[in-house]
Amino acid sequence: MSQLYDLKVLIENKIKADGLDAMAVKGKIGLRSGRTLALISPSTPDDPDAVAKLRQAAKEVLNINA
Amino acid sequence: MKWTLIRTKVLAALAACLVVGVGGILALMYYSFARNSRALAAESVTGAQKLFTILETREISKMTAVSETLIMNPQVGDALAARDRSRLIELTAPLYPKLKKEGITNWMFHTPDPDMAVFLRLHNPAKFGDHLNRFMDKEAARTHAMVAGNELAKAGFAVRILRPVYDAHGGLAGYVEFGEEIGQFIHAMKRQTGDDYGLLLSKKFVDRQFWADSSAVWQRRDNWDDNANFVVADKTTDNDSIIQFQGEVAAVPAQGKVLEWFHEGDSAFVRGIFPIRDAAGNTVGAMFVVRDISGFYLAMRHTRNVLVLVTAVALALGIFLVLTLLNRLVFRRLEHIIVVATRVVGGDYESEIRVESDDEVGQFEQLFEQFRLVFVDLMAHVPELQEK
Repeated sequence: MSQLYDLKVLIENKIKADGLDAMAVKGKIGLRSGRTLALISPSTPDDPDAVAKLRQAAKEVLNINA
Repeated sequence: MKWTLIRTKVLAALAACLVVGVGGILALMYYSFARNSRALAAESVTGAQKLFTILETREISKMTAVSETLIMNPQVGDALAARDRSRLIELTAPLYPKLKKEGITNWMFHTPDPDMAVFLRLHNPAKFGDHLNRFMDKEAARTHAMVAGNELAKAGFAVRILRPVYDAHGGLAGYVEFGEEIGQFIHAMKRQTGDDYGLLLSKKFVDRQFWADSSAVWQRRDNWDDNANFVVADKTTDNDSIIQFQGEVAAVPAQGKVLEWFHEGDSAFVRGIFPIRDAAGNTVGAMFVVRDISGFYLAMRHTRNVLVLVTAVALALGIFLVLTLLNRLVFRRLEHIIVVATRVVGGDYESEIRVESDDEVGQFEQLFEQFRLVFVDLMAHVPELQEK
């Protein structure tokens, strides 16, 4: 499992828990981080820069500290 | 409100237009008012100067006619030639109250030149024998003809005529002089124009002690120290504050000068001044003119308020229309593109851009929709997504 995938799962769970519009929220996070969440899989290799950007985007959009 | 938004910038630009528009109207109205009030002041000065000249000429004519009638009486010439003061008083005193009622306040007889002493003052019979040594006396002695003009003397600033009187044998018996206080002119001028006037005398031509003594005699306040260069000899208003002039009376140009306009309470006034010369051509005094332009001022203010209101309403309506148009044609459609783009990135490949028109934003919508279709097609061929 990669860190990127763990973050993706965390984001999806938060969206589900808060009953948010999944497509809109994922879109915002994707645009801010520069990564399409749909393309992140358990085998996606970790890239420290990509992880940091996704973490920052998740914090800005969902206010979660991943 | 974010300053990075085009909407905010456009709103700020339109608000600036509103401020500039209203400011422009205010500046234009102020300029117009200043120009018109200056024209009114110039007209007041010119009008007052003409009126003063007319009054001066009329009074000189009047005194000339009176003197003409007087010297036709040989008894007057003979009494003056004989230095018979009692006889002269007997002949002329009954007439003096009537002339005084008509404005002729000074009436004198002088002995012939070269002595030319005051022989009789009808307005002050107890005082005689003094020498005045004025320009008019010298001119009359030099020409033996009638001399007329303004003369500032101890008795005051008056328009005078001085002419020779001959006895029954044609010999020079002396001179007769009539005078009218110029101060009374300003009250006649006020009655005719409604403007206020002040008669200023240059301190260079007025004796300080005389001014103090005459103030006591006339029971008026000694106003010598009110102004640096001149004294106010007479005025048509009780309000001292409207007569304000800092310069030298002698420096006032011959055609007069507009000073400024000013407020006092709800009233607005314009001030002007023109010089008054004596018979020798010296600028010994000046006439201060104050015109009440409150009616004009209020009308201009009303016009200004209406213009400001109309401009503000028109610009506000313009701002509303521009913002509504921009919102409908640009901002709302851009927001829709942003929403769709975000959702597509979020995985909603079914969201579509509605191309609403063929304008610039419509071309962008069309381009973006084509881009979206390419993106969706691309995503459909990604192996990770195909597995799902």
